Amino acid sequence: MSGSVLLTLLLLLPLQTPDPYELELARGRVVQAAVNQVQPALVQIETVGGAQPVMDGPQGVREEGFRLADGPTTGVIVSNDGLILTSSFNFARNPSIITVTLSDGRRMVAKLLGRDEIRRLAMLKVEAESDLPVPAWVSRDEMRVGQYAIACGRGIGLADNPPFISVGIVSALDRRNGNAVQTDAKVSPINYGGPLLDIDGRILGILVPKAGSGGALAGAEWYDSGIGFAIYKRDIDEVFDRLVAGDVIEQGKIGIVLVPDDDSLVPDFLKSFFPAAKGVKIGNVMAGSPGKVADLREGDRVLSVDGQAVGDVEELLRRLSDRAAGESITLEIKRRWRTFDVTLTLVRADEIGSILEMPKASDDDAPADSKGSTED
Amino acid sequence: MINCRRHFGLYWQSKLPRCNNAARLSMCLISTFSCLLVGTNAAIAQSADQMPPARSAKRVVAPNTTQRAFNAAAPAVVKLYGGGLGREHGYGTGTLVSADGKILTTLSLLTSRDRVRAVLADGRTFMARKMATDETRRLVMLKIDATDLPFLEMTDSTVLQPGSPVFALGNWFKVAEGREQVSVTRGTFSMRMLLDARRLAQDYDYRGDALLFDAITSNPGAPGGPLVDLNGNCVGILGRIVEARATLTRINYALPAEQLTDFIGGKVAERREGVASESAAQPYVGIRISRIGFRHVSPYVARVTRDSPADKAGIKRDDLVLMVGDRRISNASDYKEAIADTRPGDRVQFVIKRGDSLIAIPVEIGVKP
Repeated sequence: MSGSVLLTLLLLLPLQTPDPYELELARGRVVQAAVNQVQPALVQIETVGGAQPVMDGPQGVREEGFRLADGPTTGVIVSNDGLILTSSFNFARNPSIITVTLSDGRRMVAKLLGRDEIRRLAMLKVEAESDLPVPAWVSRDEMRVGQYAIACGRGIGLADNPPFISVGIVSALDRRNGNAVQTDAKVSPINYGGPLLDIDGRILGILVPKAGSGGALAGAEWYDSGIGFAIYKRDIDEVFDRLVAGDVIEQGKIGIVLVPDDDSLVPDFLKSFFPAAKGVKIGNVMAGSPGKVADLREGDRVLSVDGQAVGDVEELLRRLSDRAAGESITLEIKRRWRTFDVTLTLVRADEIGSILEMPKASDDDAPADSKGSTED
Repeated sequence: MINCRRHFGLYWQSKLPRCNNAARLSMCLISTFSCLLVGTNAAIAQSADQMPPARSAKRVVAPNTTQRAFNAAAPAVVKLYGGGLGREHGYGTGTLVSADGKILTTLSLLTSRDRVRAVLADGRTFMARKMATDETRRLVMLKIDATDLPFLEMTDSTVLQPGSPVFALGNWFKVAEGREQVSVTRGTFSMRMLLDARRLAQDYDYRGDALLFDAITSNPGAPGGPLVDLNGNCVGILGRIVEARATLTRINYALPAEQLTDFIGGKVAERREGVASESAAQPYVGIRISRIGFRHVSPYVARVTRDSPADKAGIKRDDLVLMVGDRRISNASDYKEAIADTRPGDRVQFVIKRGDSLIAIPVEIGVKP
């Protein structure tokens, strides 16, 4: 008898779970506490002027499909003397005037410093006494898929009200070329530029539209879909100084057109004898591009980028999608029976056509050994 | 204590195999006491993702909170079928608000016919007729001839805190066919705000309170359904599909329940544009905002009339008007609207950008000469 009591005691104690109703109430309070942690560091950004961005596509210049509104957007204070990190989406119209309202109601004029069009980040500066609250961040190593994620934004409502919140989980890590954490919390223009929080109110990343490819607003059409992205602190730190210095980081281009291999005419039985050629075929090299200067030719095959082999067109495009103009890359090229390396410097899309000699790579992307030799 | 009683009952009723009564009683008591020990909020509030992992074998399954909220509200949710045209869908959701068959829903083409087919949660079908309309909030009251129906009472929505769970019920995309029950979706309540929205590329003229949450309810067929809290109490009615003017993206919102009680009680709210303000003196500031044709340009002051309220307050040419009161101004028509909402004699704060500085200027609204 006493044995059975002891047995049930041992069996049941670890099974004891909190009442679901109480758990729900507690969850609400925890979410509120997390948001309260970061709220002082949230700002509301307002812009005046500018125009809807246009896209230069095959059909000519036209407006982007996603319509921008006049409403406010969100930013996060990242230094106590007034640096504010936000999303470049919020300035896609190139506004003439930017104002920032702190959560204590102070409103001030802000200056747009730098932008990173690849990670969709932007840096603002306001002139404030060095007493602004700075939030805590979560490092990439601490993050786990499935943990709570709370998206916060000031894109709706007033600057001194509670922010708009959406509660979800971390759906995946290292998405979009390893740059972003993916969440199912609802992410939209209401919270682009705002923080994605963990359950303790620390920042997992800055929410940005980052899906698909295309113009300045690409990814915004995925709003509220349950697929949202936020940029890690680690990646922000990489470009932090350049953003403060006022750099505009844009995607780098080579100036080549890639073509997929067409083996539809090859009989199936032959395919087993002759395995598909490795790498990606170059279809066309544009005049006045780094590709032309580096003497890439039609029919060359790109075998690897910076020492890593590429399988198909999609993979190569994805690998190049987060390389900035000014960075240098090394391509392994196969031309007929010859294989050789070509190092070239990426340029902005609007520079293609005017490149007659290879531009010098920006200093921070110079190969490590050359840097070392100058220090010797 | 209620908790503990619930635990006792659950264990007592659960059919544990091969247990005599004594063992069963002892398990009940252990469960009850351990609940007293562990079940405090402090322990739960720590972090929800540190919950002990679920063990499948002998776990007693209590109805989860969503089920509880759904079971409490679903009997009073009605599927509606009526007129439709193009993007206006011929189906929707209604909420029973009285035992004698009053159904509250949103005004749309669906209710444009005299009679609307209403399918109750138990599968019974009635033809509903229109009883009353609230043009301001775009609500309509339907009536079916039945008695002793389950219904939802309006609960003050201020019980919701940011972070509170909310549940929305409805017939979105008319996926609930035939006698099937409506769908439920779960979200987190965020905030209460003044609705400022657009619908089908036009301004949506209802500017009242709205409850914002993160469940996606801006779907065809959802408006008119209830938003319920953890206990299944109706705290709001889902509003029509609109885009927030601030973002031009669809927002998910509900009209606060406590503001609907007068309409449910039979009082039809009057339209906000009263006749009184029409005949009364027009508000006047004395600023002309720059405007080029019909294009929206930044609201710079093009001209200040001498001795006007603006002139006396110190507003100058080429100032940029950012805010009037607590309304954001981004073009001349915004400014016009903001001034139209004031009354002569009001002191309204203008936020002006002059050069690189922001200035707040209080302006006393005058009477249009």
